[in-house]
Amino acid sequence: MKTKEVTIVSGKGGTGKTSITAALAALSPLGIVLCDADVDAPDLEILLHPEPEGEFPFMGMLTAGVDTDRCTGCGKCEDVCRFGAIKVTGGKARVDKNFCEGCSACALVCPVKCIAMEDTRQGTWFRGMTEHGPMVHARLNPGGENSGMLVQLVRKVAKEIAESSGAGMILTDGPPGIACPAISAITGADAALIVTEPTMSGRHDMLRIADLCRRFGTSAAVVLNKADLSSEGSRKIEEACRENGLPFLASIPFILDVVHAVSQARIPSKELTTHLEPIWRYLQGM
Amino acid sequence: MPIKPLTVAIASGKGGTGKSCVAASLMVSVPGLMAVDADVEEPNLSILLGAEPYASSLVETLWPVIDSDKCDRCGECVRACRFGALYMFGKAFPTPNDLCHGCGVCSMVCPGDAISETGRPVGEIRLCRAGGMTLFEGRLNVGMPNPIPVIKATLDAALAEGRDMVIDCPPGTSCPMVAAVREADMVVLVTEPTPFGIADLDLALQVVTDLKKPSVIVVNRADLGDSDIDALAGKYGTRVEVRLPFSRAVAESYARGKPPASVDYQWKEAMIAIWETAKKAAGR
Repeated sequence: MKTKEVTIVSGKGGTGKTSITAALAALSPLGIVLCDADVDAPDLEILLHPEPEGEFPFMGMLTAGVDTDRCTGCGKCEDVCRFGAIKVTGGKARVDKNFCEGCSACALVCPVKCIAMEDTRQGTWFRGMTEHGPMVHARLNPGGENSGMLVQLVRKVAKEIAESSGAGMILTDGPPGIACPAISAITGADAALIVTEPTMSGRHDMLRIADLCRRFGTSAAVVLNKADLSSEGSRKIEEACRENGLPFLASIPFILDVVHAVSQARIPSKELTTHLEPIWRYLQGM
Repeated sequence: MPIKPLTVAIASGKGGTGKSCVAASLMVSVPGLMAVDADVEEPNLSILLGAEPYASSLVETLWPVIDSDKCDRCGECVRACRFGALYMFGKAFPTPNDLCHGCGVCSMVCPGDAISETGRPVGEIRLCRAGGMTLFEGRLNVGMPNPIPVIKATLDAALAEGRDMVIDCPPGTSCPMVAAVREADMVVLVTEPTPFGIADLDLALQVVTDLKKPSVIVVNRADLGDSDIDALAGKYGTRVEVRLPFSRAVAESYARGKPPASVDYQWKEAMIAIWETAKKAAGR
């Protein structure tokens, strides 16, 4: 059987991606592999408590490094850099690693060849074992670059584990937003579950991530969380799903016990069981 | 002598903690502020302020154009591009793709001077108005991978106004968040007292400390969890400025697109206190 990968996304942050991913994992009737692709706010491990099995550096793109002894401070590098990442101060070129995108324009233009592209550690990735299956997760260094590359890396490792262990499904906890990490998290996935909330912001952001899924050829379906916080908002979400051809899978109320479970670093599986059944039916029918 | 305008960024690490609620509440509680929505992937501040766009300008990045008369298909540009943004299929001319960062290296290395650059829209800046309030909203086009040029262009346009302003930042702790808080005099970090909130606040505080920005913390839904945020704040030499309890009335008004300070007096008082703290942090 081919392994299926489901990525949980939302556009808007804080709608409940991680709690729902963890609860789906705990209730899974299949062998699964877990993947946390929200690499700059990785929280899935808080609920799943993986037993560590390995920790590896993530190098990302090469970035510029200046040999200040040889730098003449001519400023050609500063002129050519389009990211404001290299500036001459005190007669020497200095790189702000937060902004260097690694294009190497500065190194190409330097008349004394004192700029080299060098390895830069941008984060760490981990393998672990949870009660519900193997897990791959990662942490980008705070302020780091190349989150999209790190997302691709953890997904690739999760896929290898799933294929070698014969797991039927990979559950990937995705990042918020619609830019490079979100694109990297949905591209090539078999399905995206969009977790939203019954607010105007939730609806606006759901439509943007749904548009992104369509552009990248990933089929998307919607789960509405905290539905009872606004009946009007819920109605508008269901309406937007109908208008945009998005399957509406489940409506989950705001459950205080879910918040309490998360506060105790426990998977809210008991609290969510009945609400997640339609989601499993949909995923198994894929 | 004119007073230097004050810039306060609202950030969080974890998404959905209430950044836009705080930003919108500051706008309706402190008169005379201007707003910037730097969460360009999912801009929501206009919804909460009821602001309508009345003007917009495109944000463009440079994009290579290959002159087929001059290109001899040597492949130098494809080898020099570090983003895999130029491809040559067999003997075809090189073609750029969405991975392009607009760095200009391809045109620098082309021996035949066959590559020029043209502007390509990646997003827009919308100028919005609500009552007397002005909002600069950055909006990334769906499908574009890089939000940074839109964040920078929106901030530059807003900073040129020279007014006191509130910046609603993107979640996370990577390059978009750094770009959004970079110009701020003070950063307000909004969190919730759960293990998720505290883990992501820790990462956000590392970034803010790295950038040497003064900060204060707002604990939202403060009664829905008991993580020790004071201890974490102390570790980074900052403090909790205000704690706001969970309120169904606030959640319901947010759902309808109304800022909490317009329905809850406690929010309004908290916003006024935050602004006073920011003024002190900036020596005003």
